[in-house]
Order: sequence, then structure tokens, then C-alpha cells
Amino acid sequence: MAHRITDGLRQPLARIDAALNRLYGWRYNPLYHSGVLAAALLAVVMLTGLYLVFFWGIGAPYASVQRITTTVFLGRFARSLHRYASDAAVAAVVVHLLRVFLQRRTWGPRVLAWLTGFLLLGTVWIFGLTGYAMVWDVQGLALVREGARWLDALPLFSEPISRAFDGERAMPGAFFFLNLFAHVALPVALGVLFWLHVSRVARPHLLPPRGLLAAAVGLLVLASILVPVGMAPPADVLALPGAAPYDLFYAFFLPLTRGLSPWMVWLGALGLGAVILLVPALTRPRAEARPPSVVDERSCTGCEQCWLDCPYEAIRMVERTDGRPYLVARVDPSLCTSCGICAGSCAPMGVGPPGRTGKDQLAAARRFAAAHPAGAGDVVVVACRQSGGGAGAGELYGSPVFPVSCSGNLHSSVVELLVRSGAGGVLVVACPPRDCWSREGPVWLEQRLFMGREAELRSRVDPRRVRVVHAGEAERGVARAALREFREAVRSLAAAPAEDPGDLERECAVAPASPEPLGRWVPR
Amino acid sequence: MGAAVSGPVRAAAGWALAALATLAVVGLSRVPWAEERAAGAELRLAWRWKSERVRRCRTLSPAEVAKLPAHMRRTEDCQRGLRPWRLEVAVDGAAAADDTIRARGAESDRPLFVFRRVPVAPGSHVLQVRFSPVGEGGPPPVGLDTVVSVAARRAVLVTMEEDTGRLALRAAAP
Repeated sequence: MAHRITDGLRQPLARIDAALNRLYGWRYNPLYHSGVLAAALLAVVMLTGLYLVFFWGIGAPYASVQRITTTVFLGRFARSLHRYASDAAVAAVVVHLLRVFLQRRTWGPRVLAWLTGFLLLGTVWIFGLTGYAMVWDVQGLALVREGARWLDALPLFSEPISRAFDGERAMPGAFFFLNLFAHVALPVALGVLFWLHVSRVARPHLLPPRGLLAAAVGLLVLASILVPVGMAPPADVLALPGAAPYDLFYAFFLPLTRGLSPWMVWLGALGLGAVILLVPALTRPRAEARPPSVVDERSCTGCEQCWLDCPYEAIRMVERTDGRPYLVARVDPSLCTSCGICAGSCAPMGVGPPGRTGKDQLAAARRFAAAHPAGAGDVVVVACRQSGGGAGAGELYGSPVFPVSCSGNLHSSVVELLVRSGAGGVLVVACPPRDCWSREGPVWLEQRLFMGREAELRSRVDPRRVRVVHAGEAERGVARAALREFREAVRSLAAAPAEDPGDLERECAVAPASPEPLGRWVPR
Repeated sequence: MGAAVSGPVRAAAGWALAALATLAVVGLSRVPWAEERAAGAELRLAWRWKSERVRRCRTLSPAEVAKLPAHMRRTEDCQRGLRPWRLEVAVDGAAAADDTIRARGAESDRPLFVFRRVPVAPGSHVLQVRFSPVGEGGPPPVGLDTVVSVAARRAVLVTMEEDTGRLALRAAAP
């Protein structure tokens, strides 16, 4: 069921991604950066909030906000930016959660990130509600009353807190003090949750690219200047408010829940919570489909490259038991997502998910080369299954496709084998780097192929015969254009004669060049 | 596919889309909505009432006593708590509420809280409120018979004056 939903909705998402890639390029596609955009926008919210809180008064909340809006230097601008940035942050978080769900990146070590992501969204939402209560206008009163109605259904308070907002007695000053305290304290909770959110991933991205950040904040600044927020009518507990401006990002629930009993609301919230808790289990692939990586300790040279490259910190370097003077990699299956990036990082092909290690890839590539003999003018495509490289179809506009689970899983020896088998060139179709389902596959791939990162592509392979293109799931046209261009480039190269690919497996499985002595290993 | 659109056109389209998204954020942050759509009015009844403690006991039959563990056997079963009160409200002669208000808490020992919202048309209405103890031997009931005038989009509060113990009307927030 969950798989059917994610598969069905991922196609439209991929098409939207493709459209935005055409406009902004994958480096600046805001959907790829939705998570870090949310974090950056919340930073803007906190900076503007720090300024605003100096002018806000507990004794006269509405009057103080009015003063901020009309007389305080940059008050209206800061208030507008504060609100628009918090609205945009909610939108960014929702997009981020939707992407993660549709790409089924919710199971294994990502469960913590999934759950804390929802807690972050909930905290941001409550953060916003307490902010609106501080304005104490019509919307603030409606939000507070609705929240009080829900809370009164629970056996928490000795007397109904709704009493404070029905006009029976004067508004207690303690309410505004507590609300201010919550509004100021919640960012601390956000910080802790954010830390937890990224705690299970290696090298988390914390900020969007500078250009995107500047554009996002710049546009919100412009909106704050051109369309600043105004003042809604003040809260009046004995008035029935007419139409007033409501912030749909935070008050979206009011039209839905006002007609429901509080128990129905709590039941709905519990149901939503149960679904959120179940998503990792529902989206988890069968164990045999995504087996965790294993280490062949006889091949492991202790070079630590797999440990460095693993995007989920699932690999540790531990002492060997066979007396060799270096460390050996050990995979924690509970943290492994079976991305296979370690297989691409291991020169001696001693680690990787069963069936997708370097050795397995080489064996498959040999069969592939035999089944698809390629000439000097031909290009062979290696495609990530999530990319637009035609991995599912087996061919891309006349070129045979060798599929890999992730471009970071690809061992450079496979590229070498394909070139040395006679193909004029190898085009690797990878996902856009910020959309990699395994986080860092395309980044490591390029570094291995062109920048000497271990396990690097040997220098005996002409780099002009290898090219990488980034094409998302719905960007087959991008892959096709790159293929056409690369074919022409390959044909212009002098035809390299086919040679015996030799025993790459044996060549790779050499003794370590410089094993790290045990004492020099510094844990992360 | 990507080459079909020229650089400047693509840049312009990109900025236009970004501006549109920003406008959407601005627009969605100020959607006009009315909590109460109709231009009606409201009578609101809200007060706190400290009811008196009551203890209702009944004698257990020998069979009931025999069912109890030996160390818990007693002849009477007593229920303690605050006396519930009945709230009857009529607007222009039509019943608007007839409820029993019970004390909160596991021991029913928290004060009674009345909170009712009665939608009415703006204008004058004959309001009758009767708040009476349930059961025998309670204090005298509290009542209010009056004509109340409510403006459109306003609420008039019926509440208990703590010092006099009488029901009173309030049209502006304290």
C-alpha cells in the first residue's frame, strides 16, 4: 500500500524536480534543498525575533505590537520578515518531509531523522502559535481558544483553561508571561531536535548554497518591504469576529477542527501519529532486497576509505584478530541502508552488500560486455536506478545500459573494464548530487573517477572516454542530450583498440600500499 | 530538452516563479476567514460554582457483603463528591439548554464549571436561566429572568457574581 502510494506520487514529484532543474539547475533547485532552506529560514526567524522581543510588552501585547508596527525603527519590516520567514520555513519542512516519504528514505538509520523531522515540524508549528498569541489579535484569540478547547478535554487541569478566554474574568497576565517563555524556549527545543535530526548522518548539510540562500532571503526581504504585514482587529473576548486575515501555514486547522469535538481532534492526532510511526515499517524494503553490507576481512587492507565514505556512519574500524598490523572495517547492520557506497570505495573489493560488491559488479560487467559488444565509436551507459538513465529499460537511445543501485555503488574498475573491452566511452548517469537517495553517491563517484579519490579510476583509462551526467528520474531528455554529445566527442577520439581487460579483480586485490599503523588511527 | 529555452528566458522564468512562490507565501499568510460566518450574536453562560459536599450511602445486602473480601467488608456503600446542579436556559420561551453540571475530578470534588454558548439573532431576547441543585435538601436555586439586548457580532455573558452569588449580565470584557 505505502509502496503503491510512494510510487504513484513520485512521478509527479520527479517531473516537478525536472522542471525546476531546467529553470535553476540542480545546484540551486530549491526542492532539493528544502530541509536546509527550512533551517536557514528559521535562523532568520530567530534573528528578527530577537529584535522584536525587545519592544514587546507583556502588559499590553496588542498595543506593543501596534507600536512595533507603526513607530519602532524597522519594526514593521522585522515583523513582516519574521512572519514570512516562519511561513516559508513551514512550507519548506513540509516539502522536505514529502520528498523523504516519497523516496522512501525513512527506514533503517533514517528512522530517527524521520521521527525528529515530524517533531521539528510540530515544534515549529507550536512555536508559531505562541507567536500569534503574542500579537493578541483576532487570530491569536481564535488559536488560543481552540487550543484551550482541546486541552480542556484532557484531565490535565483542575479547572477549564478556556475560562481565561471567555470574558468571565480579566485575562490573566500569567498567560502572556508563560506564552512568552514558551516562545523563547522553543528554539532551544528546535536546536536539540535539529541536532538529533542530523545525528545519524555523516557530514550533514546545514545550509543551502549561498546563491539560493541569498535569493530566498532576498525575496522575503523584498516582500516584507513591499507587502508588509498590518494589524488585524484586537482580540475581544466578547466579540464574534468577522472576516480577518489568518495565516494558513499555522491556522490551517481552524476551519477543520472547530466543528469537531475535542475527542475527535485528539483521535485524529493520534491516528496521524500512528501513521507517522508506521511509515518507516511500511516503506522498508524486504530484507533480501536491501541486505546490509558485509566485509571480507581477508581483502580488507584497513585503508579506512569505506569508513570515510559511508554516508550513515555504519562502518567502524576495529582491531583485527588475525594478527595483521592494521585495522579492519566492521559494518553495523542496524545502521546500514545497503546503499553500496562502500563497495565503490574499496579498491580491493572487500566490502559491500551481497551481490553488489566490486567483485560482483565486475562479474556482471564481464557478462554485460560479452552480451553487448561495443565498438570504438559506441558509448556504454552506466545508470543509477533512480536516475533518468534508463536503468529499468536496459537501453538509452540505442546504447546498452549497465544498471547500478546508486552511482556511488559503482566501482571504478567496472568503468575501466568497459573501456578496455572496446567501448569508445562510458557515460555514467547519476542523480543530481543533492537528490541522491544515498546522500553522497554522485559526489564520491566524480571524485573517484576524476579526482583520484580511492578507489580511483586508473590513469591508464583515458578520462576523455568517461563522462558523468546528472539526470533525475524524469530527466531522460537530459541524459539523451548528454549521450548524443558524448557520442560525438567519442567518435572524434582516435579509436582505441580493444584489449584484454585482464584480471582486474587480482590487480585490485594487492597488498595495502601503506597500511595505517594501529596507533595512528583517530576515531571520528 | 534543456537547450530549447535560452539562458535569459530561463533566468527570467526562474525569477518569475520564485517571485510567484514568494507571493503565495505572502498571500497564504493573510487569508481572510471568519470564525463566525453569519452576522449573528451570542449569549454566553460561564461561571464557576463551588457546590456543597454530599455523601450518599446505601446499605449493602448480605449477599453483596459476602462477595467482598473479608478485610473489606462493610455494611454501607457511600459515594462522596460535590452536589451536581441543573442548568436550564430558555431564550424567548424556547429551551436552549437543560443539562446537569457535575463536578470534575476522580472524586468529583472539583468546582462545577458552566460554559455554554447559545447563538441568537441580534436584538432583544427574553432570557430565563435557572441553576438549581440536584437532589433533596440543597441550597436555593439561582435564577435570572431578564430581557437582554445583543448587538450583531457581540456576545453577552451571563456569569455569577462571586460576592453576591447572583447571576448577572456582562457585555464588555473586564
